[in-house]
Amino acid sequence: MASQQSSLKRRDSTLTRESDVMTITPLGAGSEVGRSCVFMTFKGKTIMFDCGIHPAFSGMAALPYFDEIDPSTIDVLLITHFHLDHAASLPYFLEKTTFKGRVFMTHATKAIYKLLLSDYVKVSKVSVEDMLFDEQDILRSMDKIEVIDFHQTLEVNGIRFWCYTAGHVLGAAMFMVDIAGVRVLYTGDYSREEDRHLRAAELPQFSPDVCIIESTYGVQLHQPRYIREKRFTDVIHSTVSNGGRVLIPAFALGRAQELLLILDEYWSNHPELHNIPIYYASPLAKRCMAVYQTYINAMNERIRNQFASSNPFDFKHIAPLKSIDEFHDDRACVVMASPGSLQSGLSRQLFDKWCNDKKNACVIPGYVIEGTLAKTIINEPKEVTLMNGLMAPLNMQVHYISFSAHADCAQTTTFLEELMPPNIILVHGEANEMGRLKQKLVSSFADRNTKLYTPKNCQSVEMSFNVEKMAKTIGRLAERVPEDAGERVSGLLVKKGFSYQIIAPDDLHVFSQLSTANVTQRITIPYSGAFGVIKHRLKQIYESVESSTDEESGVPTLKVHDKVTLRQDSENHLSLQWTADPISDMVSDSVVALVLNASREMPKVVVETEPVKDEEEEQKKTEEIVRALLMKLFGNVKHGEDGRWVISVDDNVAYLDKQKGEVESEHEGLKDRVKVAFRRIQTALKPIPLSSNGSS
Amino acid sequence: MGTSVQVTPLCGVYNENPLSYLVSIDGFNLLIDCGWNDHFDPSLLQPLSRVASTIDAVLLSYSDTLHLGALPYAMKKFGLNAPIYATEPVFRLGLLTMYDHYLSRKQVSDFDLFTLDDIDSAFQNVTRLTYFQNCHLSGKGEGIVIAPHVGGHLLGGTVWKITKDGEDVIYAVDYNHRKERHLNGTNLESFVRPAVLITDAYNALSNQPSRRQRDQDFLDAILNTLRANGNVLLPVDTTGRVLELLLILEQCWEQNHLTYPIFFLTYVSSSTVDYVKAFLEWMSDSIAKSFEHNRDNAFLLKHVNLLISKSELENAPEGPKIVLASMASLEVGFSHDIFVEWAADSRNLVLFTERGQFGTRARMLQSDPPPKAVKVTLSKRVPLVGDELAAYEEEQEKIKKEEALKATLVKEQESKSIVSSDVTKVDPMVIDTQSDAAGVRGEAYRDVLIDGFVSASSISPMFPFYDNSSEWDDFGEIINPDDYVIKDEDMDMGSMPVGGDLDGKLDEGTASMMLDTTPSKVVSSELTVQVKCSLVYMDFEGRSDGRSIKSILAHVAPLKLVLVHGSAEATEHLKQHCLKHVCPHVYAPQIEETIDVTSDLCAYKVRLSEKLMSNVLFKKLGDYEIAWIDSEIDKSESGDMTSLPLSKPAPPHKSVLVGDLKMADFKQFLAGKGIQAEFAGGALRCGEYVTLRKVGDATQKGGAAAIQQIVIEGPLCEEYYKIRDHLYSQFYSL
Repeated sequence: MASQQSSLKRRDSTLTRESDVMTITPLGAGSEVGRSCVFMTFKGKTIMFDCGIHPAFSGMAALPYFDEIDPSTIDVLLITHFHLDHAASLPYFLEKTTFKGRVFMTHATKAIYKLLLSDYVKVSKVSVEDMLFDEQDILRSMDKIEVIDFHQTLEVNGIRFWCYTAGHVLGAAMFMVDIAGVRVLYTGDYSREEDRHLRAAELPQFSPDVCIIESTYGVQLHQPRYIREKRFTDVIHSTVSNGGRVLIPAFALGRAQELLLILDEYWSNHPELHNIPIYYASPLAKRCMAVYQTYINAMNERIRNQFASSNPFDFKHIAPLKSIDEFHDDRACVVMASPGSLQSGLSRQLFDKWCNDKKNACVIPGYVIEGTLAKTIINEPKEVTLMNGLMAPLNMQVHYISFSAHADCAQTTTFLEELMPPNIILVHGEANEMGRLKQKLVSSFADRNTKLYTPKNCQSVEMSFNVEKMAKTIGRLAERVPEDAGERVSGLLVKKGFSYQIIAPDDLHVFSQLSTANVTQRITIPYSGAFGVIKHRLKQIYESVESSTDEESGVPTLKVHDKVTLRQDSENHLSLQWTADPISDMVSDSVVALVLNASREMPKVVVETEPVKDEEEEQKKTEEIVRALLMKLFGNVKHGEDGRWVISVDDNVAYLDKQKGEVESEHEGLKDRVKVAFRRIQTALKPIPLSSNGSS
Repeated sequence: MGTSVQVTPLCGVYNENPLSYLVSIDGFNLLIDCGWNDHFDPSLLQPLSRVASTIDAVLLSYSDTLHLGALPYAMKKFGLNAPIYATEPVFRLGLLTMYDHYLSRKQVSDFDLFTLDDIDSAFQNVTRLTYFQNCHLSGKGEGIVIAPHVGGHLLGGTVWKITKDGEDVIYAVDYNHRKERHLNGTNLESFVRPAVLITDAYNALSNQPSRRQRDQDFLDAILNTLRANGNVLLPVDTTGRVLELLLILEQCWEQNHLTYPIFFLTYVSSSTVDYVKAFLEWMSDSIAKSFEHNRDNAFLLKHVNLLISKSELENAPEGPKIVLASMASLEVGFSHDIFVEWAADSRNLVLFTERGQFGTRARMLQSDPPPKAVKVTLSKRVPLVGDELAAYEEEQEKIKKEEALKATLVKEQESKSIVSSDVTKVDPMVIDTQSDAAGVRGEAYRDVLIDGFVSASSISPMFPFYDNSSEWDDFGEIINPDDYVIKDEDMDMGSMPVGGDLDGKLDEGTASMMLDTTPSKVVSSELTVQVKCSLVYMDFEGRSDGRSIKSILAHVAPLKLVLVHGSAEATEHLKQHCLKHVCPHVYAPQIEETIDVTSDLCAYKVRLSEKLMSNVLFKKLGDYEIAWIDSEIDKSESGDMTSLPLSKPAPPHKSVLVGDLKMADFKQFLAGKGIQAEFAGGALRCGEYVTLRKVGDATQKGGAAAIQQIVIEGPLCEEYYKIRDHLYSQFYSL
């Protein structure tokens, strides 16, 4: 049964066109965290989500697998938020590949993107050859990036997309893409929990057909926010009261602002701490404040209400620290420094300095990526390798309190339960965590027909969607709604994006920006003979030749085939007038030839011979041509016993009645093909339809 | 059949009255805009009051009173109770505009049409949308999708697109197609052939000079006055066009290193600029870009001082200055007060940047020639003293008993008033005329309003002083009870839970301003002001001019067009123009006249079967792909129709040439192919013999003439066929 089903399916898929298959391929973040990049094609439209780098690698190795795809085919590239693992390969992709589509991100993301990447270029200590891009590339990329506001619906090449608030960081978005009615939701990093300054991720009002969702935290559950905040402040409070130093390695932008809000508020409520300085050591600190102050409309109500009285990002107890040279390490203090991975930079310098002393503490406030020092020290090893290569004992306390604003298992499950997408693709998660989450989801969605995928990088997920194409018949064509089956509707099918309209040619300009034209052609031919001769000759060739006289000028006219008008303009000239269309053009050409011949053969009196058409001969000739053409198409065409032709392709046989054009076959596909082929051959052989003969 | 659409204007047709229109889509009543004029004339709202309770949703398009002013009143008095949709800036700035209007009115009259609370509660049910957000209505409006689109003109300004069953109703008034310093132009032109377009004729007859020229004239006029030691007053709206003016001035001051002070004086100026700073995503691309690149917020104004009370202005150093003050109408508000002070000095300049509303002082002053003198009413609010205060206190006592919580606050306030009122008991009527006495007393109060009073008294000796005391004597007995009535309302205000902070820190922000609950009343006097200062009007309204309107309409080419808002003359002019050049269905309804603009469009849906589609070869033409299809309809039991390929060979059809031939382009094309072509006598002569002509008027859309008629003529020769081939190449033949 199962095998039969699959074979049936295969046969179906050969019938449906390839473009009905949606292919989703992670080029990064497939069963890993870092370098988010998901590539998707459907119906000939191509979209890429995110364009990040892997923080644990450098140079080309950090890029997503761009060589798997042809960047020039991408229509739209959507960036969810400004984090390096989601946006940092964008300058490279825009400037150094053949990509020529359009890029979108939210306003806040764009403003911070520039700050962040400029800083990234400055601090990353790789050789010039390994540099993926420079400051100039970032500036140039800024001109290509377009902005989208939350809920704005945009349309590019028939792809409609809009975005929802994702929580996570300022400006973070979840993108919903709609191609021909099939919707795909890409969550990026999201959080369903409202925090001090951000809104929780929204629940989209439409259920998507495919949901590409992050799985960073796998099956872990977050502690409630207030408990985490308490642990955080308690650790810091006790460390500094014992004269220790607290290092918070954090990514400069995004979650850092949340932590600063917590610390600033805690300090305000604890006057005894006022002599303990808090440093925010990031060159970006000051610059990003302008962005945070401007895009308050992207934050939650709490901040917006506070903003009305004073700027909540105007911290009272936190001092910026530009470089380690300005820093006098002489007493207890709290330092928040970037990068969060402890791989290099100021946070590493401080770590190396402080890791010996057990009075000190290091609070790791967010998700740490595999392969970084931050990940290593969470497991509290006895010794660590310093930047200068020496080993040193790790005595400082290490605390891991996550504020990273990724959804946990509970959030993910509820989110998916409410959305009920029939297809779920997990990305952005470590393989093990992802696997556990998959198991969990499979069991909770067991009663539904939900498909779960966990593709690895460059592994494609294929899904087939049979989209019904609906057309709207409007205007004159729709004046009468067809009542019976079998009624004919003919007109122009106009496709714009993924919407179809059937319009009568005369209405085209009413319902679209297209217009139609009539081209009237008029040529004069030198001819000095008698008009009657021409008439006579024409009658020999054409069945319908109507003669009359022009009402205005009184010159005799001939109307050939109801389409081409021939008039005797003067003694020496004939004029020929017709409205351009392929048939009339052909008729006119033959008339021209006839007139030219007639004038050349002028003196000759042609003996009128009634053309005796050998009907049978003619018929045979036609049949041979038809058969030859069919053989070219289908190979084996034999004369059948009952006068029909037998066309066999592989094991399928079709019988063609050459008089009526009827086809009989068990195989539907073949039947249709033969029918179409035969009809086309017929029209090619007899381009001037008989019906217009009859009408005249 | 199509969706049923009816339009009923409630206000603002065949004149320049505020805008308010009822659009009913399949029985769902949308009120689009809910405007009021500067006088807050309740008679204008009669039609609205009759339908208010049937309204299902309200759409607001701009943040000025002409588009949303009547909202608080309608919700309070007419039972208008429907969800409201607007963009975030329209919501926020609209709220501030209403505050400013209320406070300006309240200072000089016993304004009781609505209160600050009414404004707040009216704006509470606003759903905020972003541009291009498709908002799906639910319930009764199921199936209707509304989406705000960029309108230009004012920040957050909206062109509404209302869609049902694929049919678009577009509401576009006061839009601006031009990109400005702080705003992008409208995207109205991106709409193609909507079923209905509702638009205004306001600017149909006006034409504008180029922006560069106008900006130059504007700055010249201002700088010349300042250099001649004069002051410049710009009566402006509260939150709308003033933003553009601020940027123009800011930029000019920055470039030329000017030091003349610029003051922006409204009751809400500082909040306005604070909010505007956070609305960068609604502004022009260049502003967004400058922020993204350098984090330069264009509205971090370096040269503009934001003031919220007139005393601050008076504390400013002497010397030429420029003041942008609210109430463009000059009827009330700061602009009015400053005008009264400055009008008599010929060095000064009053520069109008928008046409005054009909019947306002601004309109009067804009007339040609301007009046030599205008009558003004000088009114101000003064704190209560003596008997009035005693009576007021009595009332307060009552309330104190009723509302124990509020009572303490009120008491403090009262006691403060009593302590500070060290003036001898004076009869109110005497105070009214003895401005000197009032002035002295006012200073004792350190009240901003009294400062206004002082300045008034400094002017009055210069002009014939209209002594109203006799009138007051005659009607004294009648007026006094009125004063008590007002105090009742004051108490209402006092008991309102507007906020905390009652210590009269007027300069601290708007919020505290609204909380001024000191018992007070209004006193007024009339006087005539000689207008000696220069009066100039320049169009900075930021609306598309007549010519652009016409070309935009021709481009959008709606199937049906409804004209509203604009003088009778302009409406009629635009109607005639559109009938000729845009579409045959142009309506300009009267107030309360319901017109049916249901499209007579027939339409039905069919499913395109895969079989049919696999045989269709599309040809690509710009955004469109087209093909000719012959199909057979198959009907399922449920009535759904599916189109299948024909079972019989297709009958022939007349071939269709699709494409738009532009003669000039074709000439270029031929030149590229090595054929000389030139225009002669309306025809294009190609090569030596062949001529090409376009017959009929191709500019008119909508009519049957939109099918281009092209005639190609020539003798039988090779060139003829060559040119014909080139001509064919411009079209798709189907």
